[in-house]
Amino acid sequence: MTRRLLWIAVALVIWAMLPFVVPRNIADLLVFTGIYTVAGLGIGLLLGHCGIVNLAQATFYGLGAYASAYCTVMMGLPSAVGFVVGAAISMTLAYVIGRPILRLTGYFLALGTLALSAIASALFFEWDWLTGGTLGIGGIPKIDIFGFVLDRPSRYYFFVWIVAFACMAAARNLVDSRTGLMLRAMRDSNTAAASLSIDLQGLRTRVFVVCALFGSLAGSLFAHHVSFVSTQSFTVDRSISFLLIPVIGGATSIPGIVAGAVFVTFLPEFLSNLGDIHQILFGLALVAVVVMLPDGLMGALNRIRARYAARGNRNAD
Amino acid sequence: MSMSSVARLAGTVVLVATCAFAAKAQTSGEPVKIGAIVSVTGAGAGLGIPERNGMLLAEKTINAKGGINGRPIRLIIEDDASNPDTALSKANELLFGQKVIGLLGPSLTASTVAVGGVTHANKIPQIAFTGIGPAVEKERKCVAHVLPPQKLNAQALLEYAKSIKAAKVGVLHDAGYGNVVMAEIRPIAESYGVKLVAVEKFEVGATDTTTQAAKVKAAQPDAVFIIATSATPFRNVKQLQMTQPVVAAIGSSSYEYVNAMGPGADNVVIPEFVVGEDPLPHQKAFVDLYKQTYNSTPKNFETAGWDAVHIMAQAIGKAGPNATPQAVCDAMRGPYSGVLANYDFAADDMTGIPLSSYVFSKLVGGKYTRIPFRIAQ
Repeated sequence: MTRRLLWIAVALVIWAMLPFVVPRNIADLLVFTGIYTVAGLGIGLLLGHCGIVNLAQATFYGLGAYASAYCTVMMGLPSAVGFVVGAAISMTLAYVIGRPILRLTGYFLALGTLALSAIASALFFEWDWLTGGTLGIGGIPKIDIFGFVLDRPSRYYFFVWIVAFACMAAARNLVDSRTGLMLRAMRDSNTAAASLSIDLQGLRTRVFVVCALFGSLAGSLFAHHVSFVSTQSFTVDRSISFLLIPVIGGATSIPGIVAGAVFVTFLPEFLSNLGDIHQILFGLALVAVVVMLPDGLMGALNRIRARYAARGNRNAD
Repeated sequence: MSMSSVARLAGTVVLVATCAFAAKAQTSGEPVKIGAIVSVTGAGAGLGIPERNGMLLAEKTINAKGGINGRPIRLIIEDDASNPDTALSKANELLFGQKVIGLLGPSLTASTVAVGGVTHANKIPQIAFTGIGPAVEKERKCVAHVLPPQKLNAQALLEYAKSIKAAKVGVLHDAGYGNVVMAEIRPIAESYGVKLVAVEKFEVGATDTTTQAAKVKAAQPDAVFIIATSATPFRNVKQLQMTQPVVAAIGSSSYEYVNAMGPGADNVVIPEFVVGEDPLPHQKAFVDLYKQTYNSTPKNFETAGWDAVHIMAQAIGKAGPNATPQAVCDAMRGPYSGVLANYDFAADDMTGIPLSSYVFSKLVGGKYTRIPFRIAQ
């Protein structure tokens, strides 16, 4: 226990010092990692605990971002209002759309969420009176906490990661609760879960709403960091990159979501130093991870730890 | 090999060696680092690649002429993959990691506005390859633009329609770039004596716009505007055998689009700035140099890249060797005669391109021909 506490203390010190010792561009990437962690957590809950492939996260991410942009720039309201409005709209939409489409399963459900993302992306374009269309909405203010303006990555980093840790704690709480048990029962066998009187559709809808909430929070965080939102940030491509986070990191593991977010944020950045073929290299890296590490990065790490533990036990015998 | 060929070859070798030696001899000291962010991959690659070519040629040329007050310039070019998030990270790296004195790019509006938030806050000069975008950009007096605002593109299209006495105009436009230009056309069309008889929108990247083109045809316009970054509507208009004059916005002027238009490109008129096949006198030297270097004909975005580097270099030179970015920013604000256009970065739109800078070209057999029509000063 003492050793575990020591590890946590060391990790916290490193976390707190990180933005001050790394260059500003890396601090910026760490901010994006935090934002993507929040968005990826929702997808991870759906994928890892319900077996649902959600390709609509960019929709809720966009709603959160546009709500923050509209409330602060167009209406002059405080940042917190944008967060709340974005979350309320996203959760309501997720409930209204989730009820009918979550009756679907497997590929059909994945295609349903993809359609939702495509429709939302088109609407973000078309409703330019609300979203600014291609030109977007600029001048979104930085978050101000009692006069302390989070106007640089090293400051915003702490805010984003505190939100990310809170979301992780909430997700952990959900997974470890009775609801988490029901989710896993449903994932492993719908029929068996239904025979235990689990309301499958209601349960799926609840998790979909939680996923939308995380997506919206991530979108609001993004809007206040970049200070500008436009349709280019909320396309179907973005939904796919959010789905990659749990697939790469490990869908059932919460630290895996962080690992996945680090992968999708940092790897393209480093590969871009290798010239115009960087997107091809990123694609190859994705294929390599999916083929060689089917349980994701955390799954591979757990296997290595289990192997060492088994070896240790053998030596002890 | 004949004697004359040998002599020509020897002459070329001597000339190249002399130039290389001269370049080395003329520039010395720590290079002046200028950052650049362009979209070399992704949806904006059609813009970013030519912009990069133009910038690299400008870097080479400026250094060959002695750099900035004897110091060579060094461009550090990054690809934002057409993504505003990446553009922001790259900007942070260039400005605070590489400590560049100024920034060129990005290629797309979303990325430009995102990066402008950092350059404006830190008073670092930026020259964007976009026209001015949302209202917030008007406050950013350190962010200059080397391409015209969409209002100017709208005016150029209407000026041409007026010149051919097209009273009824049909418009085919996409939901992205086309939508923005269209929003500028609507309030001013009437003042040019133009009535918009059919306005049809299609998705960005649509592979078929026949339905929209048929609706425009049914409205029997005198001329058709096509405002998009796509070859598809041009092909569809041709397939429907529409005989009205087609006027296209600058967004579809690249050779990639023209080649994809096929026979649909014939007789399309485009208000733009650089006709590589028949450049204006002040553009000829650049066009010849570009052709010599890349074995291809430059268009507007190559020229924008060339101009941006020269504008930044001139501002740095004017501000002095140890000037702060803010001083460079102040030095940049003023008139500049570029190859693409005559700018005035002290103007409200941070571009100052006059409408008279447009030239009008007609596509014949996949090649551009400059037509005599110009807009009066």
